[in-house]
Amino acid sequence: MSKRVGIVGAAVTPFKAKWNEKTYYELAQMATREVVKDAKISIKDVDSVFYAIYNDIFERTCIPEHALHGLIGMQNKFGTRVSTGGATGAYTISAAHAYLAAGRFKTALVLGVEKCTDCFDFMSMSATPEVIKSIGWSADSFFEQRLGWTAADSYAEVVLAYMDEHPKDLKPEVTAKISSLLSQYVKTNKFAQRQHDQVTPQEVMNSRLVVYPFKELEICVYTEGAAALILAEEETAKAISKNTGKPIVWITGLGEANEHSFAGKNQKVMPRIMSDYIASHQAYKMSGIKNPRKSIDIVELHDAFVHQLEITMSEFDLVPRGNADALIDEGLMLPGGEYLVNPCGGLIYSGHAVGASNIMSAWSARNELIKRKKKTAIVHGTGSTIAQYTAVCILEHD
Amino acid sequence: MAKKKEKLIPAEYIPDVGSHVLTIDKVKYLIANDAMYTFYQRSKGELSPFFLGLRDDKKIFGCKCPKCGLVRCPPFLTHCPDCDFAPTRIVEVGQVGVMLSTPPITYFANSLFLKMAPYGRGRVVLEGADTALSVNVYTTTGILAPGIIKKGTKVKVIFRDDRSGEISDIFCVPVSELTKAQVAKKGLLSSQINWEAAVEPTLKKATAAEQEIYKKALKEIKAVIRLMNETERARKDIMGWKREIQVKTTGGEFAIIINNGDISLAEKKLTKPDFIMVAKSPKTLADGLAYRGAITDSVIMKRLWISKNMEFTTIFKLDRMARSVARSKK
Repeated sequence: MSKRVGIVGAAVTPFKAKWNEKTYYELAQMATREVVKDAKISIKDVDSVFYAIYNDIFERTCIPEHALHGLIGMQNKFGTRVSTGGATGAYTISAAHAYLAAGRFKTALVLGVEKCTDCFDFMSMSATPEVIKSIGWSADSFFEQRLGWTAADSYAEVVLAYMDEHPKDLKPEVTAKISSLLSQYVKTNKFAQRQHDQVTPQEVMNSRLVVYPFKELEICVYTEGAAALILAEEETAKAISKNTGKPIVWITGLGEANEHSFAGKNQKVMPRIMSDYIASHQAYKMSGIKNPRKSIDIVELHDAFVHQLEITMSEFDLVPRGNADALIDEGLMLPGGEYLVNPCGGLIYSGHAVGASNIMSAWSARNELIKRKKKTAIVHGTGSTIAQYTAVCILEHD
Repeated sequence: MAKKKEKLIPAEYIPDVGSHVLTIDKVKYLIANDAMYTFYQRSKGELSPFFLGLRDDKKIFGCKCPKCGLVRCPPFLTHCPDCDFAPTRIVEVGQVGVMLSTPPITYFANSLFLKMAPYGRGRVVLEGADTALSVNVYTTTGILAPGIIKKGTKVKVIFRDDRSGEISDIFCVPVSELTKAQVAKKGLLSSQINWEAAVEPTLKKATAAEQEIYKKALKEIKAVIRLMNETERARKDIMGWKREIQVKTTGGEFAIIINNGDISLAEKKLTKPDFIMVAKSPKTLADGLAYRGAITDSVIMKRLWISKNMEFTTIFKLDRMARSVARSKK
């Protein structure tokens, strides 16, 4: 019988477009210092660490976690790294959970860090084209890299295929309203990259096309930062919780799926994000959720792009597929609606520090569950080409 | 078929050795130019028949599973995972196909592909294949705008004249833009199709009313440019960037000069502009600079013409400055 596992500590560093003041060493240690403080434990009490770091090129070193192990106080203890594109953070939570549930360890540090905008394009004298290039090395090296593959154009493939099937869904005025709504939510997230960047739907509509059909204000931004969680098995979690006075947020469901990276018959079904569907439904089953529309209160969804947020919500069965615009048109995600979606501002406004992003989302979901006295949240990570990878966690507050 | 002699990393991409000090809150930080590079001599291994087919024979190969009959193109495997790894065999597929879904169009590319933008990349299911091949898609009629190539659009594979055995040796254009003979020809080369040349649009003489519109728009553009120069965030957007742009509109022409953090307007004709912008209405540019719609979108939608596609980078910077001014006002 596997053990129950809960979150007993969470912390994030400020998410910024650029941290000239710190290297990824210091960002990682900063998040670690804060998370043990939040859990009121010593780093000496932590048995294992699970690193969430997406891209070696960002950190400008292979196995970038090796330098972190000693400086976060984990010398001679277990440490492993997960790297699954944008889904890195959520997958890392899942990996840590598995070790704790199996009884290998009593406590685990889940530590995500990313430093991306050190990449710099000397041709345009700006970081972004070089960051996109560094991500571009994630594409298939034989069949796609030389075609100018980008993360945005690969997700746009899925979104446009969905729009081929459902031409009346994902209306520009709806995606603009969602982006505007997230920009309002971010106001209360003091760690967010764009805390003070509130935009109107009209501004979103007026922003430039980056990759058709995505406009600039519908896309997550590149970010540097770190985020950390302390997970513990049941008995240890209860002891820590008693000490901190903070309730345990249990991880009651997990699901993961990776699709095919090629499309066509028997391969990727382009208009769908099957990985989102399979992972979320596995997680629902594990946590005993029969009707997600009734059970889910809070959604912390990896919104790489607003359009994909809508599709993912439909794959989660939180809105009908083909009518994802009901999120706004029928008020499902509007204030007072059925779900609170991305109260941290999402990755579009909080920022996307890739390995740290989903961990930041879990930090936010935990805070919101406790603060709002809600029961159930879903945390999501998506990544790789054509939305290939998904990991999902169900968090419950008792 | 080998490409003309060139360096794996073009010299223009390689920055000089250098460093500088950045001061934040009175603390100094050392920032150094740096690179992480690795060279390869890599075999295409089992994929070699496909890439040699592109390079030497202008043929496209897939692989067929004898058990399930699925023809995969590209032939990225030698044994079918759906049939307990039954061995597949190489088969030739057609050079006409249909788009699996509507392809995205990249306007803001990564640093290696800035010269290529805007470009489409989609998936074509070629005749005789069951799966989709990732390809670049273009139109022969100028800038690729949304709606030209969609799900189900019939496209033809075009081979570049200079090929090196890479996936970028081929691309697709809509069949509707080709003659019947071109569509039927196997191994059709890029040089064998008619590419519509970039022709600078002509502007008619302005009426009195249009002269007034021009004066009003010019006044606004001057005011916005002044504001951009006064906005720290906007100035940062063009740090290290230098461009002299000739702007031609109905009613008159002027120059916009970007010089390493400064932007200015001069009512003159440049002798050697870096590029030319032509807009039928001066309001198009005024709206873009005043953040009432993106200049990028005006280029895409053909309200504004630019003489060099590569200068999308400058257009993005102007859009970015407009947003920076808008953000700073909040």
